[in-house]
Amino acid sequence: METPPIFELKNVTREEAGREILKAASITIHAGEFVALLGPSGAGKTTILRLFNALDSPNSGEIRFRGERYDEGSVRDLRQKVGMVFQTPTILEGTVVQNLMVFQRWRKDFVLSDEDLYGKLEQVGLTGIGLDQDAKSLSGGEKQRLALARTLLNAPDVLLLDEPTSSLDPVMAHQILRRIKALQQEMGFTVIMVSHDHRLAVKYAERFIVLLRGEIAADGPLSVLKGDDSAAVQAFLNGGEE
Amino acid sequence: MSNQFYVVSWWDVLMALVFVALTYGIMRYWKIGLEKTLLVGTVRTFLQLTLMGYLLSYIFKQESWYFMVGLLILMVLVASIEGYRRQKLPVPHYFLILVGSLGITVVLVLGTILKFILDVEPWYYPFVMIPIAGMIIGNGLNSMTLTANRFIGELKHREGEVEMLLSLGAPVRTAVHGSLVSAIRAALIPNINNLMTVGLVQLPGMMSGQILAGIDPLIAVRYQIIIMYMWITTAVLADVISLTFIYRQFFTAREQLRINILRRAEA
Ligand SMILES: Nc1ncnc2c1ncn2[C@@H]1O[C@H](COP(=O)(O)OP(=O)(O)O)[C@@H](O)[C@H]1O
Ligand SMILES: [Mg+2]
Repeated sequence: METPPIFELKNVTREEAGREILKAASITIHAGEFVALLGPSGAGKTTILRLFNALDSPNSGEIRFRGERYDEGSVRDLRQKVGMVFQTPTILEGTVVQNLMVFQRWRKDFVLSDEDLYGKLEQVGLTGIGLDQDAKSLSGGEKQRLALARTLLNAPDVLLLDEPTSSLDPVMAHQILRRIKALQQEMGFTVIMVSHDHRLAVKYAERFIVLLRGEIAADGPLSVLKGDDSAAVQAFLNGGEE
Repeated sequence: MSNQFYVVSWWDVLMALVFVALTYGIMRYWKIGLEKTLLVGTVRTFLQLTLMGYLLSYIFKQESWYFMVGLLILMVLVASIEGYRRQKLPVPHYFLILVGSLGITVVLVLGTILKFILDVEPWYYPFVMIPIAGMIIGNGLNSMTLTANRFIGELKHREGEVEMLLSLGAPVRTAVHGSLVSAIRAALIPNINNLMTVGLVQLPGMMSGQILAGIDPLIAVRYQIIIMYMWITTAVLADVISLTFIYRQFFTAREQLRINILRRAEA
């Protein structure tokens, strides 16, 4: 028997305030892929990531992780394996260490040495900050990377990134995406990255899913996208950011 | 002079209307425009308290425990309806939560006072049980509604934090811990301050009443000390029990924050 895909969405619909914000979406993603989820703002990209992280449940349709249904089994284990970094990272009051060691609040056996912690920070390119520094005093980009380091401490099998570069300048954006790409190759996780900027995404992702108004308008490698005969998809690609 | 006390006559009560007249005069002179409300309030005070007097004197003549228990249940229900109406909160099953939490608090605190501290015989002796139950219910309800409101405010404010913690695999209880603690602290601080300042600024109402009724201040003080300690326990129990029920209403069985219910609450 071949191994099941890491994610399988079948006819997944999500409603909000009586409106279908995701319409019968079907997506299959295999382990190790780097997928960019593209689309204009309001298309439903965050909605899909929240479903993957089990922060919301679909109104209809089915989601599976490695063949296991989302509505069965431990949701906490699932979230640990399918890590998410939010578009606006939530940094807790306190120091950098306190943010990284937040797992101790519910996992009493969670211990890491200062060395481990510095190692994690270095992985995400956060050098030159102290562990005891007030985390709220970090810059937007540093906070984003701290949140990424925190999610990585769960050693997830999948990394969900919601517009990871939206608060960064282009140089920083490429820097962090290069890091993520390197980490992916090193650790072998799957990446699903939401972006409204496909020009940035093409440098890192191998597969592109275009979402327009809650519907999947295109799905495939860049060459497929370029050749897509849907006017809406071409309009999105040519329109650049937005 | 000990154990003598002045019995207020109905004539004295009538004379007290001079206060109402004075207030009325001031309102007229300053054109404050609340005269009608004042008169309605004056009449209602008279009617409600007189009625309460008759009711209490009837209650205090009863001698069966099931009458007293029935009365307690009624008091809890009436208080919960009042609390439910006073503050519309978007909490599913809010009324049931109020009744249940208040009921549990009353059983625990009143039980401790009657059986363990005062050792009243019989335990349902109405002269002790009814006033103390009234205080527990009043204070418990107040604290619960304040805390519930504050908790919802905290949860809204910390929506991002709660979802971030959940997204990392935290249990719901951990994700809401900060909101629970803030809400309970905020509700308890006035009660604890009360412990610090009682007797310094003014006499507690119950103690003043006992002294007016001719009870030795040293005995009235003992009662008041017990009440003060009971007060803080009542608040903390009512808060913790009700919040234990309330926070769960904001999460699904799959440990997801029910954002839409939360957002329904006014800021
Ligand atoms: N809780 C909600 N209530 C009502 N509408 C919502 C809610 N969450 C998202 N939406 C709507 O669903 C659509 C998709 O949202 P989202 O997935 O966040 O888009 P994006 O592609 O920008 O990430 C938007 O139109 C948004 O307004
Ligand atoms: Mg979004």
